[in-house]
Amino acid sequence: MQAAIDKRRTVIDTFKQELIRRLNLPYAPDDLHEDVALLGAGLGLDSLDALEIVLCIENSFGIKIPDENIAVLRSINTVVDFVLAQKAESGAGQ
Amino acid sequence: MRASHFHDSFAKKNAVFAERLGAEVVSKVSDSKTEYGLVRDGLGLTDVSYMHRCSFPEDKGLDFLDALCAGNVAKVRFGRMLHTFIADEAGNLVADCYVANNDEQFFLLAESIMDDAAFKAMLNSRGAADAGMVDLSESHAFLSIDGYKAWAVAKGLFGADVLGLPYLSVERYEFGGQPLSLFRAGKTSEFGYYLLAPAANAAGLLDKCLSLAMANKGGLCGVDIHNDLRLEGRFFNIFAEGAIVRDPLPLGLQWMIDLSKENFLGSTAIFERRAKGLSHKIIGVSAAPGVKELAKGAAVYNGAAKAGEIVASCFSYVLNAQVGLALLPVDIAFAGLTFNLGAEHGPELHTISMPPIMPKSLTVKLDEL
Repeated sequence: MQAAIDKRRTVIDTFKQELIRRLNLPYAPDDLHEDVALLGAGLGLDSLDALEIVLCIENSFGIKIPDENIAVLRSINTVVDFVLAQKAESGAGQ
Repeated sequence: MRASHFHDSFAKKNAVFAERLGAEVVSKVSDSKTEYGLVRDGLGLTDVSYMHRCSFPEDKGLDFLDALCAGNVAKVRFGRMLHTFIADEAGNLVADCYVANNDEQFFLLAESIMDDAAFKAMLNSRGAADAGMVDLSESHAFLSIDGYKAWAVAKGLFGADVLGLPYLSVERYEFGGQPLSLFRAGKTSEFGYYLLAPAANAAGLLDKCLSLAMANKGGLCGVDIHNDLRLEGRFFNIFAEGAIVRDPLPLGLQWMIDLSKENFLGSTAIFERRAKGLSHKIIGVSAAPGVKELAKGAAVYNGAAKAGEIVASCFSYVLNAQVGLALLPVDIAFAGLTFNLGAEHGPELHTISMPPIMPKSLTVKLDEL
């Protein structure tokens, strides 16, 4: 269990820090629950912010999000799921 | 008990009524699967008369509401809404609320776990009368339109311009020659609108909405299905996990707080707990196939040790499984792990990323309709 936690925590921490920095969010990483909605409700980010989130993922993890895959941006946890799945697929997470 | 303005209309549809903290509610109109389908595939009209609603003149209401709510009311621009909460002196949740600014007034729309009379007494004890509060709970009916096609009813009532309203906005319209306030909000993860209209227009408004709804796979809903819709969409529910946990921080409601605000009701206690750091927080869970119920309070085991408990649950028609929220220590509150329900060797319980669903409404661009 601990290995899975460590792997996930690393991606979460990186993404949260980059999200806060890029969008100048008035929160510390611990203030952002991983299930909080990124767009609309929750953090209340808009479509321009969504582009920043996509860039944030690309720059932090070297992973591109297909234009049609807005489902990835539902929450921090769904972004992390996507990153971990892509890393596993490419073998980078091994 | 405060009666619903839509009682007679819903009664004609064989609705089941109940009491929620001093206010009458429609629990259900059909079975849960039918009502769930209305919202996810069409739209549901729900009597939300149980919600507290009041208005304040802008000049007096601002300071009162800003001292009361965790969010920053001063930053709510004309025509917009703020989703925030009200806590007590101990920093425990009392109400989940919206504050709307329509240029002349502030509206407070609140779901509270306090008794109806106690909530009003709390507002008055904080100086609501001096702030010019007008209680609209008796004088105005309150109806919620939620669903993938909720926008069709709003458009049918007020024209295509309504499609341009952003999420968390308020606009004034007329219905039956009387003013009506429309709030674009909702907690189902599908499109949502609240309609606030004089009580005398309640029956006519519901009839009109229902005729528009029927043309768009819509119908009447009760409040019970909203517990499931909120959980599946990972919207906070003060009547479920909120009533059990009470502390906004483990619930992940920091986004409802303006952390730069010096003072609001309960702020001292909340900021002290934030400085100490979280010990527990909630995480989404999905039960193994065959588990019929995730009972509130059921123990979650990590090996031989009890790690936490279930604080909310429902059946997800999308996942075809019981889903819920568990309160766990922060060092193990991560998605993708496996625990056991009720005992060391109980049924498997998997922590999951929330929300588990992709609502159809996210695929619709209202400005392109």
